[in-house]
Amino acid sequence: MDDLVDVEIEQRSNEVVIARLTGELDISAAAKTGDRIAAALSSSALGLVVDLSRLEFMDSSGVSMLFSLARQVGSHRQQLRVVAPPGRPVSRVLQIVEFERAAAIDHDVESAVAGIATPQASPPPRG
Amino acid sequence: MSDLPGLFEVRVRARSIAYLFATGATLGLLTLAFPHSDEVRDVPLVILAAIAYLVAAIVWLVADRLSDWHIHAVVASGTAIISLANYYAGPGTLYPILYTWTALYAFYFFPLRQAAAQMLFLGVAYAIVLAAEDANMVVVRWLLAVGTPLVAGLLISQLLARLQRQASRRRQSEERMRLVLDTAPDAFITLDRDGCITTWNRAAERLFGWSEEEALGRTMRELIVPAEHQDRHDQRRRELIDADAPAATQHFEVEFLRRDGSRFPGEATVSKLEASGEVIVSGFIRDVTERVRREEERVALGREQAARAEAERVAEVVGGMQALVDAALAQRSLDGILRDLVAQVRGVLDAGRATIYLSGDHDRLTVGASTPGEHAGGEAFARRAAAARDGILVVDGYSLIGVPLLAEGDVMGVLVAGAEPPREFSSEDLTLLRLAAERVGLAIAHARVYEREHRIAETLQRSLLPDRLPELPGLEVAARYLPAASEAEVGGDWYDVIPIAGGAVGLVMGDVAGKGLAGASMVGRLRSAVRAYALEGHEGGRVVERLNRLLWTEAEDSQMATMLYVLVDPAASTVRWVNAGHPPPLVVAGEEVRFLEGEASVPLGVLPFPTYQEVAAPLRPGETILLYTDGLIERPGVHLDQGLTELATRVREAPRDPHELLDHLLATLVPEDGATDDVALLTLRNLPVPERFQVEFPAEPESLAPIRSMLRRWLHHAGADEFEIAEITTACGEAATNAIEHAGTGNGAHFEVSGRRDGPEVELAVRDHGSWRREREDDQGRGLDLMRTLMDTVAVEPGEDGTTVSLRRRLVRRGGDS
Repeated sequence: MDDLVDVEIEQRSNEVVIARLTGELDISAAAKTGDRIAAALSSSALGLVVDLSRLEFMDSSGVSMLFSLARQVGSHRQQLRVVAPPGRPVSRVLQIVEFERAAAIDHDVESAVAGIATPQASPPPRG
Repeated sequence: MSDLPGLFEVRVRARSIAYLFATGATLGLLTLAFPHSDEVRDVPLVILAAIAYLVAAIVWLVADRLSDWHIHAVVASGTAIISLANYYAGPGTLYPILYTWTALYAFYFFPLRQAAAQMLFLGVAYAIVLAAEDANMVVVRWLLAVGTPLVAGLLISQLLARLQRQASRRRQSEERMRLVLDTAPDAFITLDRDGCITTWNRAAERLFGWSEEEALGRTMRELIVPAEHQDRHDQRRRELIDADAPAATQHFEVEFLRRDGSRFPGEATVSKLEASGEVIVSGFIRDVTERVRREEERVALGREQAARAEAERVAEVVGGMQALVDAALAQRSLDGILRDLVAQVRGVLDAGRATIYLSGDHDRLTVGASTPGEHAGGEAFARRAAAARDGILVVDGYSLIGVPLLAEGDVMGVLVAGAEPPREFSSEDLTLLRLAAERVGLAIAHARVYEREHRIAETLQRSLLPDRLPELPGLEVAARYLPAASEAEVGGDWYDVIPIAGGAVGLVMGDVAGKGLAGASMVGRLRSAVRAYALEGHEGGRVVERLNRLLWTEAEDSQMATMLYVLVDPAASTVRWVNAGHPPPLVVAGEEVRFLEGEASVPLGVLPFPTYQEVAAPLRPGETILLYTDGLIERPGVHLDQGLTELATRVREAPRDPHELLDHLLATLVPEDGATDDVALLTLRNLPVPERFQVEFPAEPESLAPIRSMLRRWLHHAGADEFEIAEITTACGEAATNAIEHAGTGNGAHFEVSGRRDGPEVELAVRDHGSWRREREDDQGRGLDLMRTLMDTVAVEPGEDGTTVSLRRRLVRRGGDS
């Protein structure tokens, strides 16, 4: 069967990479999806935006993937921002696992891109 | 008198004795003319000589009339005259030698006993003469005069007896032969070297009307050979006589002439014989008028029968070939044409076997179709016919015909027919098969071209239909695809089932107007596009609008397509559909059957920017939706409305099981000789939701999506709201993920998911058969955190053969209701 999740990568002005996820993210594709997003992020980029607004479902394996991305991005002194509109199942999961401790959560893609373009002290990596 | 017939005729014997008398008398007179002793008395001797001359003259004259007795008497009188001459001549003369002449005559001409009697008389007479003469050496002189001729005579007698027996036998043999020839049924004629008839038997007399007397000494030309055959007759006779072989034989049939001028066909067997240096031509002639007449009758009868049979056969052949060509032109499958052809050829030609070899690549021949059995060396023979580019007929005990099937100069294949003895093919059979091959070759060529295209298109089209439909929890789908019976063109029908995130299912049913290869390739593009747009989560109307754009901008020859796009949301028990010019889908709810009408829009590819509106309708648990292509309802002479009404009736009476429903529709709506157009059917049943469920899943990540889909649907019907459904599904998914990880990577491991309603609460349980490893990794810790946060209670119960995770949550709305 086709993968439940689809990843669309957008390179914006060579500084910000946007990864848009659609479908459902569970353990069947989480690791692969994480690898794809990581591979799309060049070392010269300022940061990564993971857009979850069109993701119908995400479980703890998806959360682990995001935490893993956050670690990688942080080790390269780059920024990670996650887009998750409130009121959706994915936001609820991020909230429960307190993902905002690892990366900023925005309501839409443009604010996330703007957040990366504006240099600020990156949040401390999760300890 | 004599026991054997005399060797010589009476005349010969009489004249011989007359010579002897005359000679004796002349010798006597000569002795008197020369000086002689005085004791010789001349006068009596002259008188005796005269008597002898007289007897000789009389015997000569009456020789024909003398009997054996007369001859005996003459011989005896001769002895008496010689004895008197000896007496009057006295001793010292040589007259006793005349006794020797007499004795030799007797032994030569008489049978032995009569000769001996003459000798006795002679001996006595001389003895008397010797006694009267008072001479010396009486005994010596007697013995010399009588003994010498006795011995010589006996020898002559023996020799003659033998010759006589041989002559007798030969005469008997000749008589028997004559008897045989005279009683022979066939005419027997012999000719001498000059052609004169020397034998003419009774049968010849009867056959030709000429008697033996009339025929002998004359020639066949004169009597029995018709004028126009005479040259040939002479030629044949000369050839026979000049032939090297001593006993050459000719056998021929020719016309002969009777004495009355009538003619008859005769069969002649003529031989040359050489007997004692003489050439004889002998021949038997038989009248074959009757035989010739019967043969002619038989030939005429046979010809008539053959003509009738041929006429019947030709009629049959023409009928058969007509049927064959009809079949070929009906554009049925190549296999069908070939099978028909070999069967027809075998029947029509009364052949033992028939095989069609088809030309392949690199001049290879493969068997396209064959009646049972194989031709020994048939392929080599077919190759010969293909190389000759013309029919070949071989009759060599086993009859074979090979005819190339030509189409526009190309050898499409070779038709080979074989017949076992006694059946033999004729050149007419070959002509017939050539005629048939001309037409059939063209039909095969068409069929081959068509089949190649058809096969490619069919393969392509088949590849565009789902191999198997996805398994969807709580839903059951079934599909059927029935190609048109005429196989005229591969249809552009397609259907698809697309699972979409969130538990929804997209159903697609489409029909591209172009058929064949072009149609199939457009189906391929539309199918890929609709999958992509659907997975992206676009609303139905937008999906169809994008497809229209694709068809409008990219299709050649202004291709068109009708299409239904139906999004089934089992959790909400609804369907949302977009109809682009397609026959309306149909929903079965209990006994009610309703078409999903309204907002039907133009087909794809007609307008550049049409808008397609999505329409929603309920599809409750237990209800079924049916999608189909127009091949199911369109039939010549039947109005579309009538087709739809009949469809509704058939659906109403059909079983509710999706597979049985489709089979029932195909059985009742498709004509027995097949559909005129392709028929595609797709149905989905929203299965009734149970109060409780227990389902086993394979312990692999791919099970998670179906579990979520199933849970969403079940929770919806259990009364959960959207928010609750998302949270409970997430929690249960975490438990399932744990179960999958615990089961390890072993194949065949399973785990169970069960659920039940318990008043205002729902209870879900995930039970695995692995060991609950207490390795507190982040993921699992997070998973457990999620479960505990999202559910009211979470219980992990390790058991002997696995772990059970129980999740409970009170539903707000249901709780409020109750």
